[in-house]
Amino acid sequence: MSIQNKIRLKFALVILLTITSITIAYPKTVKFIPPVFEFVNKAKINLGLDLQGGYRLEYEVDTSKVEEDKKEDAVQAAQDVLERKVNATGTSEALIQTVAGTPPRIIIEYPGAKSAEDLKSLIKETPYLIFKEEKNEEEQKAEKQKFNELLAPNNEKSRQSAAETLQKIKEGGDFNALAKEFNQDPGSKDKDGVLDFVKKGDLVPQFDEALFNGNLKNGEYYPELVETDYGWHIIKKLEEKGEGENREIKAQHILLSKQTAEMYRDYWIYKDTELTGKNLKDTAVVFTDQGVSEPQVQLKFDGDGARIFAEITKRNMGKQVAIYLDDEIISAPTVQAEITAGEAVITGNFTVDEAKELKRRLNEGALPVPIKLVSQQSIGASLGKVSLEKSLKAGVAGLAIVGIFMILYYRFFGFIATIALFIYSAMMISVFKLSGVVSDWPITLTLSGIAGFILSIGMAVDANVLIFERIKEELRDGRNLGSAINEGFRRAWSSIRDGNYSTIITSMILIWVGTGFVKGFAVILTIGVVLSMFTAIVLVKIILQAIVGEWISKRLWLVVRKK
Amino acid sequence: MINIIGKRKYTYIVSSILVVASVFILFFWGLKLGIDFKGGTLMEVKFSQEETPEGTPENNFSEEKQNEPKEFKSPSREEVQEKVKDLGLTSLNVQESQDNVVILRYIGSDEDLNQKVVEKLNEFEGNVEMLRVDFIGASISKQLKQNAILAIILAIIGIALYIAWSFRKISHPIASWQYGIGAIIALAHDIIITLGIFVLLGKFFNVEIEASFVAALLTILGYSVNDTIVVYDRIRENLIKSDRKEGFESIVNKSIIETIARSINTSLTVVIVLVTIVLFGGESIKYFSLAILIGVLVGTYSSIFVASALMVSNYNIEYKRK
Repeated sequence: MSIQNKIRLKFALVILLTITSITIAYPKTVKFIPPVFEFVNKAKINLGLDLQGGYRLEYEVDTSKVEEDKKEDAVQAAQDVLERKVNATGTSEALIQTVAGTPPRIIIEYPGAKSAEDLKSLIKETPYLIFKEEKNEEEQKAEKQKFNELLAPNNEKSRQSAAETLQKIKEGGDFNALAKEFNQDPGSKDKDGVLDFVKKGDLVPQFDEALFNGNLKNGEYYPELVETDYGWHIIKKLEEKGEGENREIKAQHILLSKQTAEMYRDYWIYKDTELTGKNLKDTAVVFTDQGVSEPQVQLKFDGDGARIFAEITKRNMGKQVAIYLDDEIISAPTVQAEITAGEAVITGNFTVDEAKELKRRLNEGALPVPIKLVSQQSIGASLGKVSLEKSLKAGVAGLAIVGIFMILYYRFFGFIATIALFIYSAMMISVFKLSGVVSDWPITLTLSGIAGFILSIGMAVDANVLIFERIKEELRDGRNLGSAINEGFRRAWSSIRDGNYSTIITSMILIWVGTGFVKGFAVILTIGVVLSMFTAIVLVKIILQAIVGEWISKRLWLVVRKK
Repeated sequence: MINIIGKRKYTYIVSSILVVASVFILFFWGLKLGIDFKGGTLMEVKFSQEETPEGTPENNFSEEKQNEPKEFKSPSREEVQEKVKDLGLTSLNVQESQDNVVILRYIGSDEDLNQKVVEKLNEFEGNVEMLRVDFIGASISKQLKQNAILAIILAIIGIALYIAWSFRKISHPIASWQYGIGAIIALAHDIIITLGIFVLLGKFFNVEIEASFVAALLTILGYSVNDTIVVYDRIRENLIKSDRKEGFESIVNKSIIETIARSINTSLTVVIVLVTIVLFGGESIKYFSLAILIGVLVGTYSSIFVASALMVSNYNIEYKRK
C-alpha cells in the first residue's frame, strides 16, 4: 500500500469511528433509521444518585463482640435483614453491598424520589436480638471487682461529703436543713430524712446497731458516720416508745448513697451466646392461660437456633438466661430444663398491643449484631436534575469557548483540534454508555465525574497546543509544512506523555484512597486523559495528514500569523 | 527580547509576601473544615408556597401580598435559627441561598437529632422540601481525614519520584537534583497560596473544606508540575545547543520566552473550562473547581516567573562561591 493509500484508509477509519461514537452518544442522529435508533438507544449512561436523585445510607456493623470466624456470617445475616427491609419498600433498583473492614459497613444506595426517612425508620426499628448466659463464677467475680473499682472514686466523694455534713452538724448546723439539702435516701427524701417508728431488727444491721445500742438520748445524733450497703448515714434519734420486745424508735437520718456493683448486675453477669436474631424463624403472641392472663411473645428458632438453644439450656440449668432486645434486658428466666423444641417465650409485662408490636418487629427480621447509621447522602430528585442540567451547560459552554479560542489562536489547526475535541466528547459519552454493556464495570457518572470530564476537555487540547506550538517553531526554522507537522508531532510527544503521567499519578492515588466524590472525579479524569491523548495525537495527526497539502502551503496565513 | 529573569527581584517579593501571608493565616485562622472532616450534617431545604386553592384566607403575609401577590417569603436565617434553637445543635450555621433555599450545617450529630431537625423545619408554613441531606458520622469523618492525609503523603512521594525521573538526563551546568528542588519549591508555593486563599474564603465567606478539596490539591500538583518541567526541559535543550559563551541567565530567559505561549495557552484552556464550571456548574462542584482554578493560575505564574528564576539565583550563588 502506498503511503497515500495508507493515510486514506486511516482517515476512513477515523470517520467511521466518529460516526459510531456520535451515534452512540446521541442516538437521535439516527432517528430516521428506527432499527438502528432502537438498538443504540438502549445503552444509557448510568447516572449517580447525585444526578438522578436518591439516597445512600451507610451502616456500621458492630462485630466487636462476635468471634472472629463468625463475623462474616453475622454481617451477611445483617445484610439479609436490611435487604428484606429495602425490598419491602417495593424497589428493585436499590443496591445493597457490604464493605469489609473494621468495622464492616453495609451500604444501601437507593435511587429515586422517595425520602430516605421512611427506610431509615424502618431499619431503625429493626430489633437487635441476642440471648445471653451467665458468666462463670470467676469471671463474674472479676467483673464485679472491676465494677467496684470503677465506682470507687464516686463513692469516696460521697463519703467525704457525708463526713463534711457530719462536721457541720457538730459545729451546730441545723439537722433538718442539712437533711433537706443532702439526704439521698429516696424513701425519706421528702420528709427531711425522718423515718417511721422501727423495732430492733427492722433496719440494716449497722444502722440498727447504732440506733438501738448507741446509747443515744432523744434528740441526740450518733457521733460517727454509719456505713451500710446503701451508703453513709448520719443518724439522729428523735423519739422512743415501748420496752423490751416492743421498744420502738423514731429516727431521722441523712444518707449519702453509695453504688455497688450489685446494682449493675445485669451489666456484668451476662455474656453473649451464639443465639441471635439470625436464628429466628417465627414469632407469635401467646397467653399463659386462656384469655385473661398476660401476653407473651413466643420465639421459634430455625434448625441451628434450636440446637444452640438446647445447648444453652443444658449448660445453664438452674441459672438465668437473659434475652436482650436492642441492648436492653427484657427477660431473664431461670432455666428449669433443657429445651430441645427450639422455642422460647419472652415474658416482659407486655400489654397485648406491645406484644403484637414486638412480634411484628421480630417477624420482619431481627439483627444478630447492632448496626448504626454513620453516613447519609440524600439528594432530592429535583436537585439532581438541576445539577445535571447545570453541569451539562457548563460542559457545553466550556467546550464551545475552548473551541473558539483554539480556532482564533491556531486558525486551521485549531479548527481541526476542535473537531477532535468534539470526537473526544462523543467517544467519552460512548464509553460511559458502553461500559455497562461490554464489561461488568459500568461507569457511574456523578457530578464529580462530570467535573472531571469537563476538566479533561480543557486538558485534552493541551496536547494540541504543545504540538501546534512546536509546528510553528519548526516552520519558523524554515521547514516546509509537511515536515514541520511530522516534526511537531514527533518532538511534542515526550512533553505530552510526561505531562499526562503526572496527572495520571495523582489520579491513581485519588482512585486508590478516595471514596465517593473524589473517586468519581479521578476515574473519569484518568479515562479522559488517556482517551484524549489518543484523539489529540493520533486522530489530529491522521486528519492533518489526510487534508493538508499543497493548497494550504500556499495559504500559510491559515496556520501562522504573517511576520 | 523581554528580560523576565532580570526582573526576578519583583516576583520574588510578590511570591514571598503571598507565601508568608498564607502560612501566617493558615497558622492563625486555619482552614474551615466541613462535615467531611468534622462529622456532622448538612441540610439543604427549599421552602415554597403550599399549593392551596385560590382565595384561601391566608393573610399572615399581607404586606408581601400587596407588593407581589405570588411572592412567597421563605423563613429567614434568623427564623430558622430560632426554630431549631431548643435542639442545642453544635456550631450551627444557617445560610440563605437562592430560590428560597436555606442551608443548615451543624457538627457531631446522630440520626435521631437529624430527625428532630427535619420535624422542626416541617413546622414552617408552606412546602418544605429536603433537597439534600448529607450526614457524616464520626467514624466516617475520621476515615476521610486519614484518607486525605494518606493521599497527600502518597502524592508527595509520587510527584517527587516523578520529578526525579523527569530530570534524570539533566546535569550541566547545575545538578539535576537542583532542578528537582526548584520544581518542588514551585509546587509548594502553588499549594500554600491556594490554601491561603481558602483560609480567606473560609474566614470571610464561610467556604468549608471537604474531602473534594484534597482531590483538588492533588490535581493541582499533577497539573502544575508539568509547566515547570516543560520550561526546565527547554532550558536543558537550549543548554545543549548553546555555545558556552552565552550566559546561563540569558539561556534561561530565552527558554522561558520560547515556552511562554504554550505555558499560557495550555493553562488558558483549562482555566476556561474551570471558569465555566465555577459560573454555571452549580453549588456542589463550584468550590472544588475554584480550588483547581486558583492552583492552576498560581501554578502557571510560578512556573514562568519563579521556578526558572530560582535556577538562575542558585546558579549565581554557586558561581560566586567558585
